[in-house]
Amino acid sequence: MATFVDRYPEEAAVVRATFVVAFVSLGIGAFFGLIQALHRTGYVRILDSVDYYTILTGHGVLLALVFTIFFLLGLFTWAVARSLERPLPDIRLTWAWFGLTTTGATLVAVAILAGLIPSLGVSADVLYTFYAPLQAHPLFYAGLTMFIVGTWMAGADWFLAYRAWRADNPDDRIPLQTFMVLTTMLMWYLSTIGVAVSAVFFLLPWSFGIVETVNPLLTRTLFWFFGHPVVYFWLMPAYLLWYTVLPKLAGGRLFSDPLARVVFVLFLLLSTPVGIHHQYLDPGISEGFKFIAMTNTMFLLLPSLLTAFTVVASMEHGARQRGGEGYFKWLGALPWRDPAFTGMALAGLMFAAGGFSGMINAGMNINYLIHNTLWVPGHFHMTVGTAVALTMMAGSYWLVPQLTGKRLYSRPIGLLQVVLWFVGMVFMSNAMHRAGLAGVPRRTAEPQYQSFDFSTALGSVGELQAQIAFGGFLLFVSVVLFLFNILLSSFETPMESPVDDSLPAPLSGAEGSPLVLDDLRLWTGIAIVLVILAYTLPLGSIVTDAGLFGDSPGFPVLIDAVAMLKEVVA
Amino acid sequence: MSIETTREHPERGDDPDDRPPGYVVGSGPDDVERELSHDEFDPIGTLGIILVYFVILAVMWAFMYFVEFLGRGITVVG
Repeated sequence: MATFVDRYPEEAAVVRATFVVAFVSLGIGAFFGLIQALHRTGYVRILDSVDYYTILTGHGVLLALVFTIFFLLGLFTWAVARSLERPLPDIRLTWAWFGLTTTGATLVAVAILAGLIPSLGVSADVLYTFYAPLQAHPLFYAGLTMFIVGTWMAGADWFLAYRAWRADNPDDRIPLQTFMVLTTMLMWYLSTIGVAVSAVFFLLPWSFGIVETVNPLLTRTLFWFFGHPVVYFWLMPAYLLWYTVLPKLAGGRLFSDPLARVVFVLFLLLSTPVGIHHQYLDPGISEGFKFIAMTNTMFLLLPSLLTAFTVVASMEHGARQRGGEGYFKWLGALPWRDPAFTGMALAGLMFAAGGFSGMINAGMNINYLIHNTLWVPGHFHMTVGTAVALTMMAGSYWLVPQLTGKRLYSRPIGLLQVVLWFVGMVFMSNAMHRAGLAGVPRRTAEPQYQSFDFSTALGSVGELQAQIAFGGFLLFVSVVLFLFNILLSSFETPMESPVDDSLPAPLSGAEGSPLVLDDLRLWTGIAIVLVILAYTLPLGSIVTDAGLFGDSPGFPVLIDAVAMLKEVVA
Repeated sequence: MSIETTREHPERGDDPDDRPPGYVVGSGPDDVERELSHDEFDPIGTLGIILVYFVILAVMWAFMYFVEFLGRGITVVG
């Protein structure tokens, strides 16, 4: 029986290419993560602490933007072709967006890594959030813009495929996977307006010297206009796999197709008008606007809790079909030896824990407790770092054979890899949360101060540092095993059916759900209105306060700043 | 499907019949003993798990708010 590569060889080639970019970024980014974990805990410091911020920027950008989004580009291409049961309309367009995104990502990576070689005069040590007045080389902003435009083209490619399908199937419901892709991309189009305006109108001209100053609060707010929805852009591929693939891996069927559609619609509506919750401590935005952002954020718990129910119920369905009984005993009937299943299930479990720390982050008052501490990286290593990354790696064990026609090199190594990731993250993330409560700051190469010691309620700071370093080491080993397994899989002999790629129909199908769920125009319209309501007044107030271009000149990035400080001291 | 395929490649030496359930990627449905339709399936286990999760969330949130947050008193800057 033919698999994806036999049915859609051209699309499979594009998906393979996006996965190669994603996995190369994963390897480099994970290595940077290991360097950081050992550096900031003081165990091994192979680099100067000034260069820590170059590595930190590289780690954030390569993993959170390049790895996740390239995987998304591949997964969504697979999902659209597969669920519409037709090739993409024009493969040249598909390769064009792949070329543009890859070129953009490469330029960004070059701008960041060049910071390690000061003689080049190029650097972008602006961290993942690229807050002005920290200034990067124009290459960074130009590459970022190309990358974003490339993702817009990819979305256009999938919408064109949908339009062609709709012409042939005027009365059918949108296939679930395509529905997920389209709603996610609508959310992405809306939210990337913020980063596009920030980069094209403010940061790029400023880095070229065309304009002298920027308004840092304006560009920060535009960043978070995009910066919170981007976390759902990472998460939606994981949700797509949890909803449409995980039930099958568990031996069951998706519990409810309509509920899955409701969840994706809610993410389209609510992802963007919440960004200000990242700015609870920013002066210059009034408390009232922050309160609105908090309220919207709390509503976002709803689709995640719906997901917890639907996905666990679908797994339970599989377990009971496989003979599982009892209130909790059925958990033992799940296929725990399958690395794709186990990885995704552990990722979901870690996401539940991340939901707790996310609730703390989201509260306007309690956020003060953990703001800018190591708690926050502890939180997002559970969400994007495990719920998303581990689902993508586990999903690859099932997806890559469909793209190559070759079986996975080793399933036991795959199983070890996903378990190792989970264990490593339990150590690292738990210790990061606790260190954050002790007040240890994030984004700091040497988090130690003269005449001051952090104190913990339980255990010691030394124990927390040991856990962070050990956890980081396990995570790196896990990535090495993953890449090794995928690389060796590419040398396997092609076979007719390397994996069972069939997906069963949901228990409760789309036919019983209201047609209005598929009305993408309506949901987009409401999403735009919500964004206008949430952002018009805060943005207006920020511009009124300090002007469109503000009065902040470019602050040199750290390497220059240290050199300048040395001169001043001398 | 995967069973047939591996049988076509005996040189690989991994007859799925010798392996524990769930060992092959994506083979979860191979071990299905019974088909459960929508009306036959009652997700009580899911309800149990969600309730346990809610209890954990509530207890941890209360700890974070009343002990960690309020227990520290007012932060005075400057």
